[in-house]
This record gives sequence, structure tokens and C-alpha cells, in this order.
Amino acid sequence: MTLLAFIFLLAFLPAESASSRYLPKAASNPVFGPRQVYGLLKGSVTVKCFYPPTSVNRHDRKYWCKESATGCTTIVSTSGFTAPGYQGRVSITDYPLAGSFQINMTGLTEAEEGTYQCGVGINGRGLSHKVSLDVSEGPHVPEGAELFYVKLYSTLTVSCSFGPDYASTRKYLCKMEKSGCQNVIDTHQKFGEDYVGRVRLSNEAAPGSFSVIITQMGWEDSGLYVCGAGTYGESGESKELDIHVYEDSKVPQGKPTIFGVKGSSATFECRYEALRKSSVKSWCKWRDNKCPNIIDSSGFVSPSYEGKVAMYNNPHNNTYTVILNQLKDSDKGYYWCMTDEEKEQQSSTELKIIDGQPGLEGNKNVEAQVGSRVDLTCSYSCKYYSYQKYWCKWNNTGCVLMPSSDQRQPGTDVTCDTDNKTVILSFDSVAKTDQGWYWCGVKRNGLFGETMAVYLEVTGGELQGKDRQGLSCSSGLHAEPPSHAEPGFIPKGKSYSEAGVRSAAASESSDPSHGPNKLVLILSPVGVVLLVLVAAFAVFKYRQLKRSDLVSVGSYRTNISMSDFETVKEYSASNNACVQESQETQMGGDEFITTTAPPESAAETKKAKRSSKEDADLAYSAFLLTSSNITQGGPGGDSAAPDGPPPNWEGQI
Amino acid sequence: FLLDSGIAYPVLAGYPRNSEDEEYVLVNNKCQCVTVTSKFVPSKENPGEEILERNIRILVPLKARENISDPLSPLRTTFVYRMTELCKKCDPVEIELGGEIYQAQQSTSCDEPETCYTYNRDKCYTTTFPFRYHGEIKNVQAVLTPASCYAD
Repeated sequence: MTLLAFIFLLAFLPAESASSRYLPKAASNPVFGPRQVYGLLKGSVTVKCFYPPTSVNRHDRKYWCKESATGCTTIVSTSGFTAPGYQGRVSITDYPLAGSFQINMTGLTEAEEGTYQCGVGINGRGLSHKVSLDVSEGPHVPEGAELFYVKLYSTLTVSCSFGPDYASTRKYLCKMEKSGCQNVIDTHQKFGEDYVGRVRLSNEAAPGSFSVIITQMGWEDSGLYVCGAGTYGESGESKELDIHVYEDSKVPQGKPTIFGVKGSSATFECRYEALRKSSVKSWCKWRDNKCPNIIDSSGFVSPSYEGKVAMYNNPHNNTYTVILNQLKDSDKGYYWCMTDEEKEQQSSTELKIIDGQPGLEGNKNVEAQVGSRVDLTCSYSCKYYSYQKYWCKWNNTGCVLMPSSDQRQPGTDVTCDTDNKTVILSFDSVAKTDQGWYWCGVKRNGLFGETMAVYLEVTGGELQGKDRQGLSCSSGLHAEPPSHAEPGFIPKGKSYSEAGVRSAAASESSDPSHGPNKLVLILSPVGVVLLVLVAAFAVFKYRQLKRSDLVSVGSYRTNISMSDFETVKEYSASNNACVQESQETQMGGDEFITTTAPPESAAETKKAKRSSKEDADLAYSAFLLTSSNITQGGPGGDSAAPDGPPPNWEGQI
Repeated sequence: FLLDSGIAYPVLAGYPRNSEDEEYVLVNNKCQCVTVTSKFVPSKENPGEEILERNIRILVPLKARENISDPLSPLRTTFVYRMTELCKKCDPVEIELGGEIYQAQQSTSCDEPETCYTYNRDKCYTTTFPFRYHGEIKNVQAVLTPASCYAD
């Protein structure tokens, strides 16, 4: 039936959910540490916790506390407090520049087994991470997972080694999901669908070791991973990895997707650390787990990209810019910026091609006779009115700006006719050496914008013919019309020739002679399938809309759970926990602060957990009574929030 | 016909990897200390159907002052929470139009000042108070949230 067919089709469509616009809740707790730590009796254990290195976090208090019935009691903190009983046994050190702090506990006893929290700020506010400590007799202690704390959209490099025994077995990296360990990448070239184009696996020098590079780390990439040799759960060895993604809102990261208008150009920015400025930087397009270089800073340009790509280095802000113009549909894909040394400097961007109006227009192929006057014109649209415009001559190492006044070639001039919004590069008397690619571009605030490429071909004219009788063959070669599809010319001139040859060059096949009939035959069933897919997608989107936005008032369930009002625990679990104005933490004093809720009120408020409105009203009035009891009867120092049971996310309010 | 597909859909569609199981943050208002998250849960009346559940978490700072920048103002006794105000998105986001990236604000009426009930950890709050030194009374600036007020 059509219904089944629709659902079948829907199952293969990529899930473009409305929820991708929002942060997942897991992203709201940025403090990260190990989930499980193992220690030996009388031994010691080290716990390392991470936090985003913002100014607040770096200066705020860091603590290590043990969870108990009434909250989380501080054992040691960076404001100088050590709980009695732990003197000399426990230490905490903060490394603010690295965004981490370390807790060292020695002389472990069995009583110390339990759940702890490492956190930032004030206990119980939610800016903390739960760590479970296991104390055993030993002698062998299992290894915890390796921790990785990565910035959003940055690149993560993971290396695993298993010894020479596993040199030739399958190596893999998989992510633990509810349904098992989902493959991310393995040596048999199988990729997880979300990782296409942004993951690379490479074998290291030592046998049995390999490294995996994941770029554009997103919120969904947080979680437990397993890297191993063999097959997960069946054979071989494996190692656990715990990865957490955080956002440092101050520093902008590279955009994951860049949109390029067909026929126009796209600008890619690659960042690198300042360590080795002299390393060779390269840029490549990802294809089937290989990334063939397109351009690099040593002057290499791939032959099929001549005149199409240029790289500019900005050592001041540690970036380099790559511009790709004459965009076609086949240019879409994933491009990687790499340096030959540090693997961490790799980053990738996805380029998508959209239809639109290029901002720069002009004649892309200009032919001129030697010695004649040539004007290369570039018309820019209104949006570039305030930009800097330039012309430059393209060569393998970059695009050399055409000087405006002092020139090597006499009579070359760059003018801008503002009335007609054109930029003109003129040659008074063009020479053979002027042949080549020229780019017209716009720049603003030092950032490169759109560019347009023009090929200037200089033909030997009749004037020269008289003098070169003996060389008539060679001059005849020069005078050949450019549309002859010689293989030597195709790599150079993408925008060179007529549509027929262009489509051949675009498809990069050596057989350009697919007749138009065959094309139509192939296109029509493809078109029909596309129509069906589009219809199915529209239905899917409608269903999506229906599910996510259509919420009737009746479906709002109000569950006011009074136990939350009872004691002041569990503040916002958001990134920047709200700070109560009346918090006075005693510097250097006893930090064991708890509120003792009067037992009668506890019983009363616990009973008040209901799900209908009138009962909620009853419960609320009961709460008002008990809350006045609490504010009067509670101790003077205000709740530095003893931490209660884990946050109760279901049915709140 | 449509109802049929509605029931059959969650059963057949195993492909959405994480979109239906996760909870997403809709509102994270640090000024009024409200978080709203939403996720799909099976409906209680009809377990085959999924409905959207929104969790609203409000932390009421009972010991806050009317003006959080002035510790001498009276205690605040009225807390007003409006969903429309909380759901307003005033932070500029980047959107892509015709190949160019622009920054745009998603809501109107973003210029009205918000009354905050509690401190935003990323902002520095100060107050002035009269300080008597050598018989002279000077108005001295003091910091209410030390950790947020460092220059670096």
C-alpha cells in the first residue's frame, strides 16, 4: 500500500528534527570528570575534573564533597577548608589555565567508598560531577575510562595502542548507545552515518596502534566510546573513553558548514596553534577516506584546480584562508585543513552549494591580441559598495595584487567606476606574459570575501606574423581558438569553454561524449524518484510539525512536587548556576552547612505530591504554612545547599 | 488513514538515533532562574502515542532583595514568572541567507529592562556603600559577586 511505501521511504530520510535547534540537556552541565574511580585499601586515588576556562570558573572555589542523606558535605576545597578526619590525607589543586583541578586522596578505607562530587562554586548548585569511588582489596584495580574534554566544534584526536599482537586485526572506534556500541569508524572503511566526512582513522608508527581524528565535535558527540582491536564484545582488546563537549562562548569556533553560491566563491578559514608557524599547511578534499591535497603553502596546486583556489596566510591571528571560486555542484563535500605536524590542528568544514546570484559578474574569458589594450571588467553588486575591491594575478603561490600606481607593466591601471559599480583592470599594451588567471575580489576588515576568476588569453597578432615566418607553426598554435578540447587545456580552464566541454570537465570523466539523449533517459526516472522523495519528505515534515509544535493546553500537566520546596537543595543545573544574593560563604571556616528541615513539615509536604489541580492548590497552601516554619526555624547561615537526591526531572511543578 | 500512520510511525521508524529520547533545553533564563526543557514521552492514556512534555524548573530565591544590586533594599516578596517573557530569545543568532551569514535577533521588544531575581554568574554586580574613614564618609564601591568580577 502507499502508506507502507511512504513509511518505508520516510525511514531512509535524514532526520531533520526541530530539536536540533536546541541544546540537549546533557550540555547544560559543563563540569566533567570520571564516572568511576577505583582505589585499593590504604592506597590512593587521583581524580581529575574539568570545567570551561571562563573567568568566573577560573576564579571560583573548587570543591570535593561526599554525598550523604542531607546533602554533599565538603571534604576539601580550594578556599582552604579540609574536613576533620581528612587532614593531611586529602589535597586539591586547581589548574585554572588548563581548566581542570585535581583531587588526591590517600590512605583509603572501606568507609570511604561511595558517591562524591567534584564541583565549582557552591555545593549542591549543580555545577558538579558525580564520581563513584570503589575501594577494594586488590591486588588488581580496573582502569577507568580515559577522559577527553573538548571544545564545541573543535577537533578531537584519540590514540589507542594494543601491542604488536594486534597489528593486523580490525581496529575500530564505536560509541555506546542504548542499542549497543555503534560503529563510528573502523579499518574496514565502515563509517557511522553521522560521521561521514569528519572522521579519519590512521595507523600509527608502532604496530597495533592507531589514532582517530574527529572534527566538528557537536553536542551529540558527548558520551562513552570504546576503541579496540577485534570486535566489540566478542574478541580482542578494548579501551573505554569518556568524551565531553563544552562550550566556551567567548572564543568563536569555525563554522561547521559553509554555503557557496554556484558560480561564485567560498572562503574557508583554518586555524592553527602558534607553535610552529613554519610548518606546511595544506587543504584537501575528503574522498573515500583519503584526502588528496588541493593546495598547500609550499606552492603546490592540484592541476585541476589551477586558477580556482588560493591560500592566504595570516600569521597575526594564527589563521590561513583558502578561497575556492568558480563553484560547481561537484565542489560540495568536506574539506580538511591540515598541518603536516600537529594532528590536533586538523579541522574540517562542509561546503554546500546553493543556487543564487553571484555578487561579482564579468566576462570570464577574455581574448586579446598582443600589444592591444585590454580591459578586464568586474561588476559588483550593491552589497559590496563599502568593501575594498581588488584585482590580482593568480599564480601557484597565491594571488598577487595588481599594483595601482607603480607597475611592472606600463599602462596597467586599476580604476573603479563607482557610477556603474565596476572595477576595471586595464592593460595599455598587453604582452604574452600577461596571459593567465586574474581574480577580481572584495575584502573587508582584512577578511577575504567573494572572488571571481577571469582567464586572459593573449594571442599573437598579425603584426607579429611578418617577423616570424619561420615560426609560423608555433604562432599558429597560439592562435587556435580555445574551445578545442585538448587534454592539456582542460585542467587549466574550468570556465573556459562551451557548455558541452564544461560538463565533461565537471564530471571529471575521460569520456565526454554522453549524448543528450542518454542524459534525458537517465534523468527522467531519477526525476520521478525525486518527486516521490520530496512528497514523502513533505509528509514527514508535516508530521514533525504536528508532533513538536501542536501542544494543546489540556496536555500541560502540572505536578507541583512540594518536596523541592521543603529544603533548599538542587539549584539550577544550568551552565551558570544562579547565585543567591544572600549567600555568605565563610572564608576558611567550617563549610559543613546543612538545613535541618523539621520532620513534621517533611511528612506534610511529601504527602502533597499530587497530579490534579485542586489537590495542587491544597498542597500549595500547606506549603505556605510549612515554608513560614522553615524560614523562621532554620539556622541563621543560609543553606549553602546540602545536596539531596539526584535532580528530579520528572513532573516538576 | 492519518491516525494509522501516526501509530505505526513510532514503531517502524527506528532511524531517528537520538531525536526522540533526549531532553532539550528551551529556556535557560539566568536572571529569573528558570529552566524549561522538553522531551517526548509516551502518553499515559495511550502508551502507543508520544506527547511532548515540558518540564519547567523555577528556583525561587526566597532571601533575595527587591533590587539585587542593593543589599539594603527590602526582601522581595513577589515573584512573577511569565512564559512569554521567558521564551523570548533576545540573543543574536547567526543565520544564513543567500550564502552570507548574518546575525539576527529572534524576538522583538528586547530593549525592555528585565528585573532579575538572582545573580547571573557571568556578570559582575557591585554596589556602593558609605564608608567612614578618618572621620570622612566616602562612597566606596564593593563587589557582591567576587568570582565574576575579575578582569582577566
